[in-house]
Amino acid sequence: MLIEKILNHISNWGKFWFGLIFLGCLFNAILEKFTSLNGTSYTWVFAFGLGALIGLIAKIRGAWL
Amino acid sequence: MALRESSEISAEFSFETEKAIAKSFSKRFQWEMILIGLGQAAIWLSLWPLVLNGFLDLWVGFLIASLCACFAYLPSHEAQHGNYSRGNPKLRWLDSLVGHITLITLKFPYHILRITHMKHHAYTNDPEKDPDYQNAHNTSVLKVIKNVLDGSTLQFDKYLDVFQNDKAFVNSFHQAIPIALFYKAAPLVLVVLFPFETLLLWWMPAKIGSVYTTVFFSYYPHLGTSTGRYQNTRFWSHWMPRFFNHSMQLHFIHHLHPSIGHYDEPKAIEALKPFLIARKVPGADQIPDRVTFNPLIRI
Repeated sequence: MLIEKILNHISNWGKFWFGLIFLGCLFNAILEKFTSLNGTSYTWVFAFGLGALIGLIAKIRGAWL
Repeated sequence: MALRESSEISAEFSFETEKAIAKSFSKRFQWEMILIGLGQAAIWLSLWPLVLNGFLDLWVGFLIASLCACFAYLPSHEAQHGNYSRGNPKLRWLDSLVGHITLITLKFPYHILRITHMKHHAYTNDPEKDPDYQNAHNTSVLKVIKNVLDGSTLQFDKYLDVFQNDKAFVNSFHQAIPIALFYKAAPLVLVVLFPFETLLLWWMPAKIGSVYTTVFFSYYPHLGTSTGRYQNTRFWSHWMPRFFNHSMQLHFIHHLHPSIGHYDEPKAIEALKPFLIARKVPGADQIPDRVTFNPLIRI
């Protein structure tokens, strides 16, 4: 039952979580490493927010591309 | 296997004779594939400590990981057909071992690929039942690439529904769930700790390997073909030397006789060429009398 719930959740919200965590971490790392935003407060909010937004749009569209 | 003989086929090209010839190429131990499968996985795994400890540049690691991913599927494919154990129950562990390990680079559960591939063989080019249909019958190679990158070619839910009465199929899916969850979760954990390494050593190489595999193993061999044992796969040629596309021009012989090992296919095709022409395999009349072993030549 629990496994089934997890699978349903991944099936429905997988793109959102991928956007938030995977893309968010990447954007955050890119902003920290390659821009002058390094060390700026709330950089991570922008990075993870953008990742979550892209993931949410992919979830609504049902496709990444 | 029962096969209705067409009245146009002469006795010398009977299915029984064809099968006997094919069987003579289906006995050799596939050590090269085991070496490639386990070897590429070992190389891919070793990239992580080498890159993380600064012994290897991340971009070099990315190139090597992408190459590993392109070599990852075929050893698993041989395992899916039981071509390592060759019917010996004591060697079945070898099929599982190579099948699972080599797919780590591509992040795919072996059980799901095995069972969907069996259905691909059973229902090749059937729009409802062939899990590879969407790849093989897309309108352009660019659309295939887009669909693979998007993940929309993996309609596992659809085929779980189509084959819901097939116990073996459903059980294999359930067996694959823990590994599938691991492959979903592992990159999400790793990316928190090593963002660029996770992107360039695993996520992007897996995508590149999936695109490569789908285009050359699924799209080109079945492009423009129909249903039927001798009509569902074709002989094709390409500007690219065979080494770079795993000799998938010869994939039709695999569909006819899946137990022939990959590296034995050229000799099997030479021996079976008259049968393939008689059976009107698409493109069979263009098969050279001698399929060279030199992989840098197109065919």
